[in-house]
Amino acid sequence: MRRIALLVVVLALVAAGSWWFFAHRAQGNGTESLTVYYTKMDGTSMGSWNVSMRPQQPGESSAEHLKNMALYAAVQSAAGPPSDVEAIRFPPGTHINTVSVNGSTATVDLSHEVTQQVGGTFGENGEFKGLVYTLTGVPGINAVQVTVDGQKLETLPGGHVELDQPLHRSDF
Amino acid sequence: MNSINRFIARIFRGVFPGALAMAFALGSATLPAGAASATYLYQNQQIVFSHLASSNGVTMIGIQDPGLRGLLKTLGAIVTWRPGRRYVLITTAEPEVISFAVGDRNYDVGPVTSQASVAPFARADDVYLPLDALLRALYLAPKPDGSRTVLQPQLGSIDVRAAGTRAKLVAHAGAPLAARVVSESANRIVYEFDGVGSTLERHRTIDAGGIRSLEVTTSGSIAAPKTLVTISLASGATHGRVHNSGGNDFEVAFTGASSGAYPNAVARAPASATPMPAPSLTPGASTVSGVQPSAPPAVAGPAQVGAVTVAQTSNGSTVAVAISGNATYQWHRLRAPDNRFWIDIQNAQLTVPPSVQAEVNPLLSLRVRQNDPTTVRIALSLVGQNVLAVSPSATGLSITVDNQQVADAAHEGSGSIGAVLSVSEAAPAVTPVPPEDYGQGSPSWKFGPQSTYVPTNPKLIVIDPGHGGSDPGSERNGTKEATLTLDMAKRLRDILIARGWQVKMTRTTDVDVYQPNDSARDELQARDNIANDAGARLLVSIHVNAFINSGPHGTTTYYSKPEDVPLAQYVERDVATDAGTKDDGTVKSHLYVTLHADMPAVLIETAFLSNPDDYALLVSPAWRQKVAQAIADGIDQYTQQYPVQSTGGQ
Repeated sequence: MRRIALLVVVLALVAAGSWWFFAHRAQGNGTESLTVYYTKMDGTSMGSWNVSMRPQQPGESSAEHLKNMALYAAVQSAAGPPSDVEAIRFPPGTHINTVSVNGSTATVDLSHEVTQQVGGTFGENGEFKGLVYTLTGVPGINAVQVTVDGQKLETLPGGHVELDQPLHRSDF
Repeated sequence: MNSINRFIARIFRGVFPGALAMAFALGSATLPAGAASATYLYQNQQIVFSHLASSNGVTMIGIQDPGLRGLLKTLGAIVTWRPGRRYVLITTAEPEVISFAVGDRNYDVGPVTSQASVAPFARADDVYLPLDALLRALYLAPKPDGSRTVLQPQLGSIDVRAAGTRAKLVAHAGAPLAARVVSESANRIVYEFDGVGSTLERHRTIDAGGIRSLEVTTSGSIAAPKTLVTISLASGATHGRVHNSGGNDFEVAFTGASSGAYPNAVARAPASATPMPAPSLTPGASTVSGVQPSAPPAVAGPAQVGAVTVAQTSNGSTVAVAISGNATYQWHRLRAPDNRFWIDIQNAQLTVPPSVQAEVNPLLSLRVRQNDPTTVRIALSLVGQNVLAVSPSATGLSITVDNQQVADAAHEGSGSIGAVLSVSEAAPAVTPVPPEDYGQGSPSWKFGPQSTYVPTNPKLIVIDPGHGGSDPGSERNGTKEATLTLDMAKRLRDILIARGWQVKMTRTTDVDVYQPNDSARDELQARDNIANDAGARLLVSIHVNAFINSGPHGTTTYYSKPEDVPLAQYVERDVATDAGTKDDGTVKSHLYVTLHADMPAVLIETAFLSNPDDYALLVSPAWRQKVAQAIADGIDQYTQQYPVQSTGGQ
């Protein structure tokens, strides 16, 4: 009798454990999210919104998945928040050409429209701060190297922010 | 945003998909089985989709389809995808990112995840997407109209964001939204949106922010639809005036007389709710507090910018810009080898969809878009430094581009169309959004080890007037940042010398410090080298800020290294206090000139050239003298507080 009771308890534990495992695995597959940051119009504080991050797909290697997540994050950041949100935004037309990941550094290649700044540190600082905060929110990425149309720049033309080294959150 | 009581009438995803599926089925029913192409109409333009396939009975379209690419271009959308890539990312003009992935039925539109009936698949260097889901994401509905199928832009969503007695109605559509008031009374206002249909829920009770309810009805034809949004107002409620930005969004503010006007409002809008940020005010707009502002100056409404056409001439090309109303414009061109030109028409609204088109010599491309809420930008890529003339014409503006090229082409100019408006009259005010908690993304910049720098010349201060020579910095009305910074630097030099300091300037005339048209590294490092080689006590780089719109204003002092912080704080406080600018604080950034200075260094952005009030200060010699005095005061206080001998190395 005691053996049967013990067996029942063990089976109940196994069932509960199985339910917990599958429930949480399913949740993890569908609810990963990415925080996309933007710099507010005070020039320094940040706002954010969340978008869902797609789970790793069958046939998608971990490295490819990381690169895809970085690409998604960069595109979201370049797009910026909805237009009714006041935010420091990249110059109109700026888009992401490519994103690659080497180690924990994501190289984000921006289109040449990013060079059409109007001057001043305000826009540059806010734009790159949002980009760096967003990319480094992707697990596995902690630095962002910016290039423009495939070229590494020291700064944007007439610019102020140094771009020929990877940028970290701690730089802002 | 979490603290804002937000009522969302986003029924799009509830009602629209069913209607869309039915309409789409009707549209594709006109195609023979296995058809290789399908023709649609979008705003009277014929769109031919030719990269079509079928998956489980669902029509799929290749992302490389020329017709689809043309449609996306017309919509102002940018595709991020390369052959072999799993993700297809489309950034709309909204901006909103639409995300599809091979093998995954889930797709994202901004923060919302939806599920398509079939998953995208890859085939022959192309990725095929479910067409119905893609069109839905673009707020387009295929509607049969006789023998043809029209891609009808849809009013995708109407959000009512309420906080306390205020509300903001935000509508979004698959085409530029232009609203007009067609009926107005004390308790009702009706907005008409031309060119968009709707399958949104017809009635919604709001009871907040001055709005009791809203009704959505449609009229017009399939090809020329209209959507009417009727707002039932609470007693005593007020509303802002219509401001069409030219984009796919429309918003208007409402204010209720008191919370007691709504039986349910108190429960839905907790007293602790953060007040909604005040919307931008434009001349003639009512304030969100419900108090009508004093009559605005006699300023005409925004100019309307319509068709932009290019005509070939025997000498080159002429770009004609149709403009009605009064506006000012400024144009700029970059220096060779970058042969881009752009003209900003201020106090203007674009009434046609933004566009990008290839042109023939001497033009390479032409881009037209609403650059910010009050500025229309027309950008040209030229084959070289072509002779170029901008002049008002009977119908707006004429840009003449000659085949002839010159080495010393002008790089800027400005003018006006119609009655001249001052910038201050035309510019909207912007209310900065109050800071929020950073949450998980909190900046955690670290102070590195304290500097061991020992100045070999502790009485020497290096002043760096920003920009100069081939790099004028930001500009406005012919006023160059480089000129202003040099003037302030000279004033600061004289004050510091009078107080017993030695001063070295990185430049004393309008020149490049390294050499003309040098690289950023050479130019900025040359400035740092002057301070580093001299073993200076401090480096102060003086700049003038700018932004794409006139909202931001005030003084900001930037720093990069831990040892810069106290100097930045003293300078910022004294300038903001004594020169009377808004104190925008000290900001850490990865700036070349401060990073590569051995000594404590700051970059002070004294004021915004792009802001009318700041601009008035910047062009005042008396104000520039105040700034110089305040920077000198900040330096004195810093050096008294942090003497060299007591800082262990500074």
